[in-house]
Amino acid sequence: MKLLLVEDDQALSRELSSALEETGIIVECTETGSDADFQVMTQSYDVIILDLGLPDGNAVTWLESWRHRGMDVPVLILTARERWSDKAAGFSAGADDYVTKPFETAEVLFRLRALVRRSHNHAHPQIQVGNLTLDTQLGQLTHCGMPVSLTAQEYRLMERLMHAFPRIVSRQELAEYTYESDHEPDSNVIDVQISRLRRKLGATIIETLRGRGYRLTDPGDTQ
Amino acid sequence: MTQRRATIHIRMLAGACLMILLVLPVSGVLLSYNFQQSIHTAFDERLESLLNVVLASLEYDRVKGSLPPPDVPGEPRFSRIFSGWYWQVEGPEQTIASRSLWDERLSLADRDSLVRHDAIGPNGDRLRVVQRQVTLPGMDQPIHVMVAAPLHSIQAEMDQFNQLLWVSLAVLALILLAGLAMQLHWGLAPLRSIQSDLAHVENGDRDRLNTDLPAELTGLAGAMNRVLERDQSLIERSRQTADNLAHALKTPIAVIGTLAGRLRDDQRITLQSEIQRMDAAIRHHLSRAAAAGPSALGTPRNLAETLQPLIQGFERLAQRRQLECNFIIPETISVRTDPQDLQEMVGNLVDNAAKWASQHFKLVVEQSTDGILFRVIDDGPGMSAEARAAVMERGVKLDESSAGSGLGLAIARDLAALYGGDLHLEQAEDGGIEARLRLPDRPHSHD
Repeated sequence: MKLLLVEDDQALSRELSSALEETGIIVECTETGSDADFQVMTQSYDVIILDLGLPDGNAVTWLESWRHRGMDVPVLILTARERWSDKAAGFSAGADDYVTKPFETAEVLFRLRALVRRSHNHAHPQIQVGNLTLDTQLGQLTHCGMPVSLTAQEYRLMERLMHAFPRIVSRQELAEYTYESDHEPDSNVIDVQISRLRRKLGATIIETLRGRGYRLTDPGDTQ
Repeated sequence: MTQRRATIHIRMLAGACLMILLVLPVSGVLLSYNFQQSIHTAFDERLESLLNVVLASLEYDRVKGSLPPPDVPGEPRFSRIFSGWYWQVEGPEQTIASRSLWDERLSLADRDSLVRHDAIGPNGDRLRVVQRQVTLPGMDQPIHVMVAAPLHSIQAEMDQFNQLLWVSLAVLALILLAGLAMQLHWGLAPLRSIQSDLAHVENGDRDRLNTDLPAELTGLAGAMNRVLERDQSLIERSRQTADNLAHALKTPIAVIGTLAGRLRDDQRITLQSEIQRMDAAIRHHLSRAAAAGPSALGTPRNLAETLQPLIQGFERLAQRRQLECNFIIPETISVRTDPQDLQEMVGNLVDNAAKWASQHFKLVVEQSTDGILFRVIDDGPGMSAEARAAVMERGVKLDESSAGSGLGLAIARDLAALYGGDLHLEQAEDGGIEARLRLPDRPHSHD
């Protein structure tokens, strides 16, 4: 999962991003609305955390303009404000959920995972493809009921493929959503990661579609 | 409520009526009296001149030694019998009288000088009599000459005058009253305009009073406007302060909270409970600081419109959290609650329901006889009666992992109390919680 954190308080930004990174999420931080605007328009994210109290103008206005330009990435509002009118303004601008400061990292994580899952049209917190089960809340992949140990990068690739199934995921998309913006890898790096996953989960678990990308093997086809 | 004071209108009207009822009759009586006096004087003078005419036509006949009946010119009524107009001359030996007296005689006043007096005539008429004692040339004894005229002739004049007087006074009274009514209408027009302005401000059609008024009232309207503006700016300022303080305090607390997440369990739990206490205190006091409470001129606003942004937000939130939600708000209900206060109360309740609901939550608003009832219902795990009673106490939370759930209810309850309303928690039909918030139609301060 790749996330943009828009938070002007450096201490909070640092602590929250490191807490989230520990769970395997790629977090990119910006402090101002205009920086965020640039990032949102040029990079791909699964979810955005937006602090309503940004110093350079109203966060709600930025959100509104992003939605206006067709950005459909789910947005979690972070607010110190108690007023419902402010939260309501955030929602009408296109926010998807909110967390009030002070929050516990677990709550933020819970909301983020639910939002990402929803954005891929998965109603249930557990996504199942064949023998594979991804518990989006626990961040745990199981194969035939057995937990699979994955690196953060491997988990992100599987998360993307599981969320996207049965859609084909291009190398480009995998690169954009599972690596940090400044470190997008060559396509053969992704090939290497995919073959590692095949070694862990079985050779037929991921199929390569030449020139189009990767897809989890449809269980109906293999049986 | 204190006894209602009479309106200015009634005071002025009563004062003026009293003046009219007092002054006009008194002046009427005075006028009438003066007129009567002058009529009487004129009548007496006329009688005296008639007396002089009678005197002038008297001549003593020395030969016969008697007074021949004089021929009094210019007054034919002396010849008409019992006309009330009489003369009489009383000498030592004989008494002669006008033909009108026939064989009656007037009684003589026993005095020497000029006498004017009232007497009763032969046919019961009230007469005015003028009598004088003279000594004619050739006579050695004085004679008494009397002229009498009926008082009813001036009485008629008096009556006529009085009638005219009272009619004119009555007309004058009516004109005065009409003028007064006009004066009241015109003079009090600015007051009425302030009154209707106030009504407009109360209804929310306008946010300030018109100051295009007479000099006596411009100051008042201006002061009123300044109070209204100050009221609004005070609320705005304290809300701004509360906001800034919230932002300034909560971000560092959030940092500490995130750091605490990495500590050993025992340390983390202690630190997090302290953080929650700080958060609860901040939320509680700032929500009070930001509350406007019932204002002097609570403007009624449409309830559905006021809650619309909130409902949109919750609908989106429910959709994202995969919950069903229902909002049943009659379009016709209007409230005099400050819109932000109302959003705080309803927002906290619905937020709580959205937090606990397992599949659906709803808000149902009903107009009841004693106010407006907001029912916020969820299908969550619910609470025992004791827990429901305890949960609204400040800072008490049922589940430490669901931060601030009880606090939202306590805030809503405090705000409701500010408006003279109340909040109760009940067991919902399907096991969850039903929060019942009641707000009176006319908020009254309960601070």
